[in-house]
Amino acid sequence: MRTTTRTAIRTATRTPVDPMAELSDIKNEIVRREIEEFVTRPEEIVRNVALFTRAHERMQAIAAGIIEGDDELVDKLTRDALDADHEALEVMDDGLIAGMGVVGIKFRENFIFVPEVLACARAMKAGMNHIEPILSASGVDPIAKVIMGTVKGDLHDIGKNLCIMMLRGAGFEVVDLGVDTSPDAFIDAIEEHRAPIVGMSALLTTTMPNMGKTIEAFVDAGLRDQVLVMVGGAPVTQEFADDMGADGYGKDALACVALAKKLITEKRRNAPP
Amino acid sequence: MSQAATPRLIVIGENIHTTRVLQRKGPRIAVVDGAEVIKFTTGDGADRTLTVPESMKKTQDYEQGRIKHVKVAIDAAMAGGAEAALGIEYLRSMAAAQERTGAHFLDLNVDEIALKPDLQMAAMRWLVRTMEGLTTLPLSIDSSSVEIIRAGFEALSGKGARAMLNSASLERLEALDLAKAHNAAVVITSAGEKGMPDGPQQRVDHAARMVEAAEARGMARHDLYIDPLIFPVSVDTAFGPHSLDAIRELRRRFGPDVHITGGMSNVSFGIPNRKLINEVFLVLALEAGADSAIMDPVVNRPDALATLDRTAPAYKLAEDVILNRDRHCKNYLRAWRKGELKA
Repeated sequence: MRTTTRTAIRTATRTPVDPMAELSDIKNEIVRREIEEFVTRPEEIVRNVALFTRAHERMQAIAAGIIEGDDELVDKLTRDALDADHEALEVMDDGLIAGMGVVGIKFRENFIFVPEVLACARAMKAGMNHIEPILSASGVDPIAKVIMGTVKGDLHDIGKNLCIMMLRGAGFEVVDLGVDTSPDAFIDAIEEHRAPIVGMSALLTTTMPNMGKTIEAFVDAGLRDQVLVMVGGAPVTQEFADDMGADGYGKDALACVALAKKLITEKRRNAPP
Repeated sequence: MSQAATPRLIVIGENIHTTRVLQRKGPRIAVVDGAEVIKFTTGDGADRTLTVPESMKKTQDYEQGRIKHVKVAIDAAMAGGAEAALGIEYLRSMAAAQERTGAHFLDLNVDEIALKPDLQMAAMRWLVRTMEGLTTLPLSIDSSSVEIIRAGFEALSGKGARAMLNSASLERLEALDLAKAHNAAVVITSAGEKGMPDGPQQRVDHAARMVEAAEARGMARHDLYIDPLIFPVSVDTAFGPHSLDAIRELRRRFGPDVHITGGMSNVSFGIPNRKLINEVFLVLALEAGADSAIMDPVVNRPDALATLDRTAPAYKLAEDVILNRDRHCKNYLRAWRKGELKA
């Protein structure tokens, strides 16, 4: 139900995309320069130019703050935008998330590195701190709830924690089950939190098979259809994810966020109205 | 007391790991008669090539431009086909290169050879028997699974140098019994029963309990190699001081006999010019009281440490990152972009 409301707000705040928009139409110099310098895939140029030419100048400035990883600036600009009566969703979509999109591209292409992505994620979080209370007060749920844990036998949680930080920054609510998570602990959490997505990580080839065993336990518990399972970790591959019947694989923390968004979008699109 | 120019450094060479990759675009990979090959030089100086098998070309690593070369060599040698002898030569040259550059132990890890435990154990047995014939250096048998380590120890002939077990920790104390039974040296890590240590104090506490547990089994302190667990500074620059402070305290508490080591290259994950960060971290770790490292001695030459220019701007930038004086590695990355981090 609430997702319908959310879509309604979103559509209402959006100006139509101008198909003829050009890079030089983007008013914010930082955003313009970043796209020019770092975005090279044609479809991504088109998408970002369309997005930023449509976005309000305040939103462009917020996105620039995200790209530069400046948490104090994003904190201030987000407050200013909300004070100036911009919708929380507009700030989130056209400012914070739009900025993070550029960050993701730069990371993928090796223009920036882990410490910089983390600074951007902290800036994102600084903005989301103002957005979240407004969204929840107006009955808009977080994008979705995600349960995260490293699998049974695996104590390595640095990668999982990075994913959690990025997911929270992107507006997901995360239930962190920590390390060495048994199939039963995952199952209990799915039942308790009614989360549509479960993320599992493993750093070791010797614990990786426990991902498959956990998925089998979901099947046995009759829960497999209720959750989307995403997996990741250094030795994990797309092929392995497919073999054990996961719904998706992400190679790093940003891929994890993109995957969670894709999974939840597809689920909602396919869900009966 | 004057500091020795080259501090004692016991190198546990980590090159014979099935995780190790070469870049497809790098100088070691070539195409010969339409086939992609890995180039290498044998001990007698002969140039040889090892063919990258078709099966590897379907993997994600390969698609992303990486070739697991040690896995290629072990697979070829174990399969016993036309390239088996080349696979053996490849391993021999890897052992020789590490020996030449100062390795004291050869760490063997086959965890990524396959996903099935019986295949992993079979590969470890094979590799241990094979390496005994290729090197006189002691072997360090390394796995995240005690069963794979056990398989490796059972394959030892008992005629070679005393081996090392990598690793035991509070979550797997049974590995200590295994080390004791085989009269092996052992790496003991600061991992806790329920997770990774979250600061210097837990690193010291967990390691101290492991030292006690080992000594209670009658193991000598000089056979213990404490690994306080080194985490990447890219994730949190506080991780640098966490490891270094733990090393300092462990040395103070356990005196000169115990060894202090660690997977030194972990520190540089996620940032460019890893070699520089690794070298500076190693210098700082040795100064803090470490006397060993689990490292790649071919890339990070131990003999180069003594001549490292500690006044160079690049050294200072790396040191600032490691000592948590450069938030988000900002200055370091800016310098890297300007090309100022070249050694």
